[in-house]
Amino acid sequence: MSGPGASRTAAPEGAPANTVVEEPRITERPSAVRLRDVGKTFRGRRRRTSALEGVSLDIEAGEFLCLLGPSGCGKSTLLGILAGFVPADSGEVLVDGRPVKGPGPDRGVLFQTPTLFPWLTTRQNVLYGPKARGALTRETEEEADALLETVGLADFRDAYPHELSGGMRHRAAFARVLINHPSVLLMDEPFGALDAITRAGMQRFLLELWQRHHMTIVFVTHDVEEATLLGDRVAVLSGRPGRTKAVVDIPLPRPRAYEDTETLAFVTAKRRIREVLER
Amino acid sequence: MSEPIVCAARPAALEAPGGLESPAEAPGTGGTRERRRRRSWRRVAYGGAGILLALGVWQVAALVIGDPVTLPTVSGTVRELLHYLTHPYPESQGKTLVEDALISTGRILAGFGLGTVAGLVLGAAMAGVRVVRELADPLIAVMRPLPPIAFIPLLVVWFGIGETSKVALLFFGVLPVITIATLGALDAVPAELVNASRSLGASHFHTMVHVRLRAAVPGVITGMRIAMGGAWTSIIAAEMIAATGGVGFLILQAGNYLQTPLIFSGIIVIAVLGFAFDGLLRLLLRAADPTTRHS
Ligand SMILES: Nc1ncnc2c1ncn2[C@@H]1O[C@H](COP(=O)(O)OP(=O)(O)OP(=O)(O)O)[C@@H](O)[C@H]1O
Ligand SMILES: [Mg+2]
Repeated sequence: MSGPGASRTAAPEGAPANTVVEEPRITERPSAVRLRDVGKTFRGRRRRTSALEGVSLDIEAGEFLCLLGPSGCGKSTLLGILAGFVPADSGEVLVDGRPVKGPGPDRGVLFQTPTLFPWLTTRQNVLYGPKARGALTRETEEEADALLETVGLADFRDAYPHELSGGMRHRAAFARVLINHPSVLLMDEPFGALDAITRAGMQRFLLELWQRHHMTIVFVTHDVEEATLLGDRVAVLSGRPGRTKAVVDIPLPRPRAYEDTETLAFVTAKRRIREVLER
Repeated sequence: MSEPIVCAARPAALEAPGGLESPAEAPGTGGTRERRRRRSWRRVAYGGAGILLALGVWQVAALVIGDPVTLPTVSGTVRELLHYLTHPYPESQGKTLVEDALISTGRILAGFGLGTVAGLVLGAAMAGVRVVRELADPLIAVMRPLPPIAFIPLLVVWFGIGETSKVALLFFGVLPVITIATLGALDAVPAELVNASRSLGASHFHTMVHVRLRAAVPGVITGMRIAMGGAWTSIIAAEMIAATGGVGFLILQAGNYLQTPLIFSGIIVIAVLGFAFDGLLRLLLRAADPTTRHS
């Protein structure tokens, strides 16, 4: 069950707690996401906004990377570039070794507010991708039902988005992306608008999911605690225009749980990130 | 990545306190549906009672006044209405109420239909093509506040008092309303919805049809409901000014001969037709927009 992504940072059971086993990084393996000197400038009517400048970052397949930075530093812009919604002005953007030319189902996107199609039921929303691509089969439909079961929405499969709670909409959006089997998940502050309890539940759910399926996840947040809890590494961007300031390793064992946030190791890791942020 | 992203049993973490909420009562089941049905009956009952009350007030007022030219009784009006549904007025070379209603309805269907189609195309073109928007924007802005009936004399000069002038009047009345509704609805479609569709693997074209246009449908139908109200105003006015048939023409004739019960009959026919058309559009809206369904 545990693949390369999960075991890389996890301390295997039985190993002494103080030795963190790290697999050597295989350099010739193409990274899942590769950014080189990515720049983006928005040209408005009166002003030019330089949103990103010289962002370079490598993300390994199966890695959980958190993107942290002050408001307006270009996190959403960077995610939009990775998703293929907006083109970068300069630099190189590769996902799974191929340059990004536009949006595609290999990169699942979860927005800050879940953007379900309001005229479709939960189940129809989940099946939107396969249907739009002409890949709707008996198996996909069964998988959709199973996915709805997984995210706890089986009883709401025929409900419309306006009949769901905020957290339920997030989970429906999740299922809608997962049915495409994306290799990369791009998440833009997905839990920012949720209350603390629902948010903790969603974080746990996300970790569960990631541990089982070893997707590469790029997770935008401006919550240091969230970044520390979730990420293998945390990439800290500087203020506008955004550049990669530092990439901080989080050497905490997996699986992680919300209770770990009180341990000394966690607090130390948090402090390191905060220091980089304020530098 | 080939294994399906599904687990047989939900992981324990999900069941832990503070985890995902357990599914509560699903919508549209037993209790809710029952309550909804009771509420809709309640609405029909109260609506009917309101109308009966108004008719009662009318009847009492008519009896007190005692002059059928000023205010006929309800029963007298109903008698006239039923009579003229199948008998022509004026008796020689007149038309029955049903025929007049069909004439007006036909004009509405033709003018409203053409205006709606043109408005949809123009609105969509304005939303999609910058130049078209810049060209059409001022024209629409000037046209919209103009009352269409101001054009009746002009249209009569151009097209005579036949059907063409009526259809043209409706067309130019409906066009700006639908154009603005379509443009507004298309502009209001969130970019994220379009992005979501594209990143789920839908093509440009599929996204255009199934997301952008689809998301605009409720707004367009609401525009159609507004335009329909205006269309009835215009057509009745036009039939009163320059026509040889239609409910407006009938009402004017009845007024000229102080046939008050027939005036009321004509008004009732317009009310029924207007209600029916709006009801059809409301059904359409309900079908297109699930958020409007339970009210
Ligand atoms: N479409 C656009 N047109 C012009 N400027 C834009 C556009 N999108 C973003 N910007 C600018 O680019 C900069 C970065 O924006 P972005 O949304 O990426 O920030 P962010 O890091 O996601 O911020 P937050 O944490 O507040 O979400 C901002 O200064 C913003 O004003
Ligand atoms: Mg943002």
